Amino acid sequence: MPSAVRRPFASTVFSLLVLPLVLAGTALADNAGLTPVEARSPNAQGINDAYGWVSIFTGAIFLLVQGSLLLFIVRYRRRRRARDEDGAQVHGNTNLELAWTIAPVLILVAIGGFVFWKLPQIQDVPSANAAGGRTDVTVEGYRYYWNFEYPNGVIAVDRLRAPVGGNVRLEISAPDFEVIHSWWIPALGGKFDAIPGVVNESWFRADAPGIYRGQCAEFCGIQHAAMLAEVEALPREEFDAWLEEEDRAQRAGTSDLGAETYAGACAKCHGLAGEGDIGPALANNNLVQDAQAVETVVRNGGPKLMPPVGADWEQRQMDALTAYLKEGFGGE
Amino acid sequence: MASNDTAVPQWQRGRVASWFVTVDHKRIGILYIATAAFFFAAGGIMALLIRTQLATPDTGFIERDGYNQLFTMHGTTMIFLVVVPILAGFANYLVPLMIGARDMAFPRLNAMTYWLFLFGGMVLLLSFFAQGGAARGGWTSYPPNSVYSEGAGQDLWILALHILTISSLAGAINFVVTIHNMRTRGMSWTRMPLFVWSVEVYAGLLIIVLPALSAGLTLLLLDRQAGTNFFVPSDGGSAVLYQHVFWFFGHPEVYIMILPVFGIISEVLPVFARKPIFGYKAIAFSTVAIGFFSVLVWAHHMFTVGMPDVLNGFFMVSSMLIAVPTGVKIFNWLATLWHGNLHFDTPMLYSLGFLSVFTIGGLSGIFLAAFPIDWQVHDTYYVVAHLHYVLFGGSILGILAGLSYWWPKMFGRMLDERLGKISFWLTFIGFNVTFFPQHMLGLLGMPRRIYSYRDDGLWAGYNLASTIGSYVMGVGLLLFLWNVLKARKGPRAGNDPWLADTLEWYTTSPPPPHNFDKVPYVTSARPLYDLRRKLKDRGAL
Repeated sequence: MPSAVRRPFASTVFSLLVLPLVLAGTALADNAGLTPVEARSPNAQGINDAYGWVSIFTGAIFLLVQGSLLLFIVRYRRRRRARDEDGAQVHGNTNLELAWTIAPVLILVAIGGFVFWKLPQIQDVPSANAAGGRTDVTVEGYRYYWNFEYPNGVIAVDRLRAPVGGNVRLEISAPDFEVIHSWWIPALGGKFDAIPGVVNESWFRADAPGIYRGQCAEFCGIQHAAMLAEVEALPREEFDAWLEEEDRAQRAGTSDLGAETYAGACAKCHGLAGEGDIGPALANNNLVQDAQAVETVVRNGGPKLMPPVGADWEQRQMDALTAYLKEGFGGE
Repeated sequence: MASNDTAVPQWQRGRVASWFVTVDHKRIGILYIATAAFFFAAGGIMALLIRTQLATPDTGFIERDGYNQLFTMHGTTMIFLVVVPILAGFANYLVPLMIGARDMAFPRLNAMTYWLFLFGGMVLLLSFFAQGGAARGGWTSYPPNSVYSEGAGQDLWILALHILTISSLAGAINFVVTIHNMRTRGMSWTRMPLFVWSVEVYAGLLIIVLPALSAGLTLLLLDRQAGTNFFVPSDGGSAVLYQHVFWFFGHPEVYIMILPVFGIISEVLPVFARKPIFGYKAIAFSTVAIGFFSVLVWAHHMFTVGMPDVLNGFFMVSSMLIAVPTGVKIFNWLATLWHGNLHFDTPMLYSLGFLSVFTIGGLSGIFLAAFPIDWQVHDTYYVVAHLHYVLFGGSILGILAGLSYWWPKMFGRMLDERLGKISFWLTFIGFNVTFFPQHMLGLLGMPRRIYSYRDDGLWAGYNLASTIGSYVMGVGLLLFLWNVLKARKGPRAGNDPWLADTLEWYTTSPPPPHNFDKVPYVTSARPLYDLRRKLKDRGAL
């Protein structure tokens, strides 16, 4: 009899303790997913602090519940007792029950208080004349790419460049013919939905140069998984120089905006080399030679699945794309 | 049997025909459970296909559109065709027996709800073969994406949910009327089994929130087919409005799917601990409290749409408040084990497993309720892990506890204990291996609803672990199926194999069509315990 009783006990110990420990052991190697990714911006840090604070309480409750569960399973197992032998006929205990009603309330007050205390650090966008300066960028979600516009009118696709140590204010939205997307770069803070007809505000201040990756977090259709985004944090001077140079190049029509737009807005369905995938092949396709025809399709959508991917583009982006198509997929 | 009743025409007496025309709550309950089990297999296969696609980075097994249909249908199937109706099946079977009634208040309406459920489910599943395939907008079907979705799948999805909504609504009204009017002599509200309490709140919630879903679905259908623009921003509609309407239904739905399971656990634990439930009233009232708060928390699914601080704050606080009555339940269940005489039969193993993993699901919910943290983990695999800890670790483990517990009553045969235990451990371990790593995936930045991902080392490792776990879980569930099929030849159960406390064990297994020849006067929440003690005192037992 004892062996039959011990087996569930041994297995319970195994799965409740050993298994998470094994997982935790491998994961702890470089903090891989037991806490949010390392924060590279004050707002992300605020969220991580809140995560840590909540973990203290949830961790304690976890240990309390699982510990007493295991303890009771071992301590009060039937051993040699008959099935009809009563356990303690206790119907309740008002004081105990009050205690485990009130204690959680106090814990929740502690958690809620901490969250509201941290909220300004997470949410409040630094003012325009805050230390480090502020760059305002609009972030627009399209199927299946991100379009950014800087204050000087420079347009970028899928890769947002930002100055290290500089505040970046994001106006996140989507054109009114679009579906809902969600802007999210984990290391630089939480996500906000890009909703047609709604403008959401967020911000970040990257503390080190590098490329921070993320992807669309609201299911938006067939190529949702391909809707990647990244922020490239550049040293201040490098960023300023890039923005100025890009402005000049985009005005002159000599920038890479066409290639960038193709890679972001077209290639996810037509292939990076125009080989075709969800959409028809563009290489050796006569249509792409005709700027007017391209613009019509891009602004109005295609006959089948193709959404109006560039219905509200500025002319400079449209011209950049048509020029790129003409050059890149030129008639051979 | 029904054949004794001369009013029943000959053609309705056949072994098959009698199931088609039945208005017996027990048969309808079994039909519900069997049909939901079939849909569970279908939804489970979809889940395994999803996990197979995600096992390694850049897999080409089921891509894009097929994958989008799969996760949409997996979620919709599990929620609308499995958990909610299987609980309706338990409630159908058990409520009249537990309250000492002959049947439900409206037996014919009851039969109608089952057939609507079956037809609604078939409309949904068969929509895979519709023009353009099945719906592909997720079980939430947010517009404008769901409005722009091509093909008939999305419309059939709406139709199926409309049918299921009518079925659930009629069923819920039936439960409420039955519980209020048909309790046997002596069964006051505080002597009612806790499972019946949970069905009362389950039914009440359904009545409150299903009309919201129907309204939202109707507007969505009009937007798709009649050219209206309720949810289409290009013509002045609001995409966010749909989310409010949907989640006003959708979050209470989560509690609709877990409250009756709380009821099951509250029935099983005391029997296998040989104790009364600790704090009967606290558990009953916390069920009501959870039901009440559950209609005040819906927008915690919408923290990323950009609501003002005061709304974010309100929905954070209300969501966290639900943790209080839920915590009361968990602590009361633990206290029920204290100084018990614990028997680890299969129903008890599932219940203890439920306690362990449901707690994890509840705790990850605290992180999600704190809205700045939600900004980080919303719509990631963290949420997928959380909801499966609650809906599989919670609802499904609890349902398996209930099936193992009441199977002898329903069919008069015992299940194989050894097979039951192996099945439990495979399911329990497989479940944790599947879903625990998904917390990490979410924190590492993996959004939900993507068919493919880049090779990022850790993403690949956790995803592979998750897929392996899902296969283990699948084997465990197949063993459960084998066990119940094998039980046709199992040992006979007798009226009360577990020495349980509630009235359904007073009658034969399976019970006769009229349920009871006579019902004892109920003097406490444990009428059979009282009866056994009386017999013991008289030396008769």
